Amino acid sequence: MNRRDFQSEIKELNLSFLMLAQQMLRDDRETAMFRLGVDAELADLIVALSGPRLIKMASCQMLLPAFRFDDAVVAGLLAGDGRDPASASLHAAIIAAGKPATGLRKGGSNEKQKPAEGG
Amino acid sequence: MKNKSLLREAEEIQLAAEMVSLGARMQMLEAETSLSRERLLKIYKEVRGSSPPKGMLPFSTDWFMAWQPNVHASLFMAFFRFFEQRTEVKGLDAILKAYHLYLDHVEAQVIEPVLSLTRAWTLVRFFDADLLQVASCTRCGGAFVVHAYEPVHEYVCGLCNMPSRAGKGKTTRAVAKSRTRVGALN
Repeated sequence: MNRRDFQSEIKELNLSFLMLAQQMLRDDRETAMFRLGVDAELADLIVALSGPRLIKMASCQMLLPAFRFDDAVVAGLLAGDGRDPASASLHAAIIAAGKPATGLRKGGSNEKQKPAEGG
Repeated sequence: MKNKSLLREAEEIQLAAEMVSLGARMQMLEAETSLSRERLLKIYKEVRGSSPPKGMLPFSTDWFMAWQPNVHASLFMAFFRFFEQRTEVKGLDAILKAYHLYLDHVEAQVIEPVLSLTRAWTLVRFFDADLLQVASCTRCGGAFVVHAYEPVHEYVCGLCNMPSRAGKGKTTRAVAKSRTRVGALN
């Protein structure tokens, strides 16, 4: 039986993802936080990763960049549903931009919730 | 004016130049920097190569309610609100960063940028003055720009409930045409 483990592909992708994330965060921290969908703590952690730790983190068998949206609507819109491509893309972007970033608890549209203490 | 920090002034000139290159008008420059009008005029002419347009800024909130401007304004506000709520950047910095993101999106989709920087800036000022607010669409959950104090509990956005002629302007047609041409070649 042939069983591909995709290990080297995953490692390569993880490594380029982490390096790109670092570059983006160093260049323009806030914009990168938006594009990566991470909060301030996670952003600090990624920026502070040293070379060896970065490689260590990359060589795990799970993909580090995960799917950002679980919303069926966003998935559908990103896939190009809608009357015309231009407005479908705008619609998807508006919904997607309103989603909370990773590491933050889900907040309402107006109020900002404080992260839980301890943990 | 005499004991003004030279470094601070250099920063402001840089900032003003960035704003001009993004399409800011004189009123915005004057409000956001402490540089003199003459200096700002010089910066404007140097960056744009022409004199700034005269006259007052548009001051009506109604512009943001028409279908296309509303979609673009809501997209910009989505970016801006991320910065306001999730990061430390505030005010003008947040506006500029959000506007850059907005331009990136518009360029990637080959759509005309309907919202100018000055409009985006006025939009934020309207929010600060409680003239506008955002409402969540009851169908898609996205946040859209609406008049303040408007009943919003049954709000449906212009993208979920598209008016029949919406999105059929010159530019979208041109884009659609070029898309189909590419499709025919493949």
